[in-house]
Amino acid sequence: MSKQYLSYGSADNTHPTDVFSLAVTNKQILSASGSNALQVHSTTDPDFPLVQDLEAHKVGCHHVVTDGKGSRAVSVGFGGEVVIWASHDGTWSKTKDVALADVWAVALSADGQHLAGATQNGHIKVWNLDANEEEIRDHETQGSFGTCIDLSPDGRFIASGHESGSVYIFSTETGRMPFSLSGLVKPVRAVAFSPGGKFLAAAGDSRVIVLYDTSSGEQVASLTGHSAWILTLSWSHTGEYLLSGSFDGKVKVWSIDTRNCVATHSETEKAIWSVKWLPKVGKSEGFATAGASRSIAFYREATGG
Amino acid sequence: MDDQADFLLPSPSLSPPPRPINRARTRPPNPQVQQYIEETLKSVASQILSEGQPAITLKRRVKRSNCTFIVNPSNGSLESTEAEKNITYTWPGKDGYEAWRFDVALRILSAIHKAVNSGLVISKRDIYYSDPIRFQSQSIVDIFVDDFALTIGVDRSELNVEAAAKGLVTGYYQLITTTDEVIDARASTKDCLIPRVEDISRIDTADVDWAVFRRLSRSNFHLRAAAGKGILITGKGYPDLETRAFIRKLSNSILPSPSSPDKAPRFYALVDGDPDGMSIMSTYKYGSMAHTRENNRLNLPCLRWLGLRMSDVVEGSQLGSDESLITLSKRDRRKIVSMLAKSPVWAVDGPELEWRVELQRMLMLNVKAEIEIEYDRVGGLEGWIDREMAREE
Repeated sequence: MSKQYLSYGSADNTHPTDVFSLAVTNKQILSASGSNALQVHSTTDPDFPLVQDLEAHKVGCHHVVTDGKGSRAVSVGFGGEVVIWASHDGTWSKTKDVALADVWAVALSADGQHLAGATQNGHIKVWNLDANEEEIRDHETQGSFGTCIDLSPDGRFIASGHESGSVYIFSTETGRMPFSLSGLVKPVRAVAFSPGGKFLAAAGDSRVIVLYDTSSGEQVASLTGHSAWILTLSWSHTGEYLLSGSFDGKVKVWSIDTRNCVATHSETEKAIWSVKWLPKVGKSEGFATAGASRSIAFYREATGG
Repeated sequence: MDDQADFLLPSPSLSPPPRPINRARTRPPNPQVQQYIEETLKSVASQILSEGQPAITLKRRVKRSNCTFIVNPSNGSLESTEAEKNITYTWPGKDGYEAWRFDVALRILSAIHKAVNSGLVISKRDIYYSDPIRFQSQSIVDIFVDDFALTIGVDRSELNVEAAAKGLVTGYYQLITTTDEVIDARASTKDCLIPRVEDISRIDTADVDWAVFRRLSRSNFHLRAAAGKGILITGKGYPDLETRAFIRKLSNSILPSPSSPDKAPRFYALVDGDPDGMSIMSTYKYGSMAHTRENNRLNLPCLRWLGLRMSDVVEGSQLGSDESLITLSKRDRRKIVSMLAKSPVWAVDGPELEWRVELQRMLMLNVKAEIEIEYDRVGGLEGWIDREMAREE
């Protein structure tokens, strides 16, 4: 069964360069790009107006993440600088500019207290943002570039993907790897836990999405259909659907029940660097995509009527 | 013109020519240069005779960390606000190091004096190898030669000292030298060293439809490319000033033909998809950070970027053939960040947003690729270039 998602607007050419990362709160979408400013757009207004420019990263920014409440955000720039942001009534301001090892990819815990990061030399670290960015965990892996990281929604696990194709899961309580995962043969570029924490999805240059069962570490499915490198993944809020974006501009929606691709969007041939589901409005779910087209495109599920 | 100049010009029938008129004077000695040298040497000599302390004071440009770089919007060249400082070298000085510095300055001045008086062009390398132990390194010679030019207030070529050329050129052009000799490279399949621009009166490129390539030396491609006949030039890495001067001269020689102005020859850069490739292209188009004073007469605003782009590389890579991609080294990543942070060419409000994004995509994907990657694709490197140029039309 296929699903239909309709384009319902976009913030066009909003950044002068590629948009590399998106983060969402209940009412806003934050975007990081190769320019020197993050942008904040409102997602409650159908025109998606720009509400704030956050200048911070002179040589560009590649990751931005938010916590569950939408009160804290963290961005990482190409120069290696990490900026912590706080939101008061929807207005963002810079809290701090810090240097955290050679961190590349980051994930923020739901309560915003812990920042997990994968470093360029393959370490997985956790910092306590409420205690002066104290480093509270440092897991060493085999040294391969940490390209992506995610925290499970309950905060119990961290997953990281590496250039070597390795995928690791760590328990945040014990600091140990509960099991080793089979990994992929080529660089992994995205890892994402399902909302219930039952699955971990991983994808990258192998052009397949692999689903792991997080209770056993077994690979339970592999979703094939992309014909280019997969750069980004996002789970829908119910965990029914997985969203993926690839270097050739394709965006796909996958049904987890049937393990099939239920929708493909190819409005652009330019790389999709980031996809994110948006907060549910009524019964209808929607998502945002961004990348080398320099726009943020918004899609909503077509409700039968 | 100096009628006595004895050009060692190869016969025009020899094709291709070796580097033409390598050691010949193309104009009378610059009186300003002669006057400076003679006065300086005279003052040093009289101090020595009177057992005083001879001294030579030279201007030097301050290091790049102290100056701001801009891309001049009027001519597209990379320029800097740089300060000059004076350094005085005295004999015997207060220690052996000072004595050595004075000795080096004097010997280099003597070498320049000889070159200017005899009308022979020498290279920085010639000076260094005349006494490598004394000079210690090539860069010391280079710095002193540049300082003398700055102090006298002339271009280095007025000192009859040139950098050793390393660039190569092949292609469909004729050179007309300052003595009206014609060097025809049109039928040649061999490349030759970049000629000195001081020796070139004009370059005849009447039949050329497109022009500059870097780092491509496939035989005869300049004669059989789909876009038309052209000229291939390589600087073998970062271009030297001679190579840049030659291309600039070429660009000044090429005018759109009145019959088809839209078919004006074009200048393309073909560089590796890595930070050095991008930096080399920037050196051709805007100039180098080391020679900002010379950039406005060497830059090439019309240069277009042919490739290699990350997007071509990644999209073109078939399943299972990603092996040709190379992981960025730590040095590559540091170099990219430094380029983005320091040079106005890559700035967010700078002239080359696409170049900026390209560097950022490299960082994102952590890969680079060399031009050779196209050898194995459909149509090979030549086919790929033909397609890219057609797309540019």
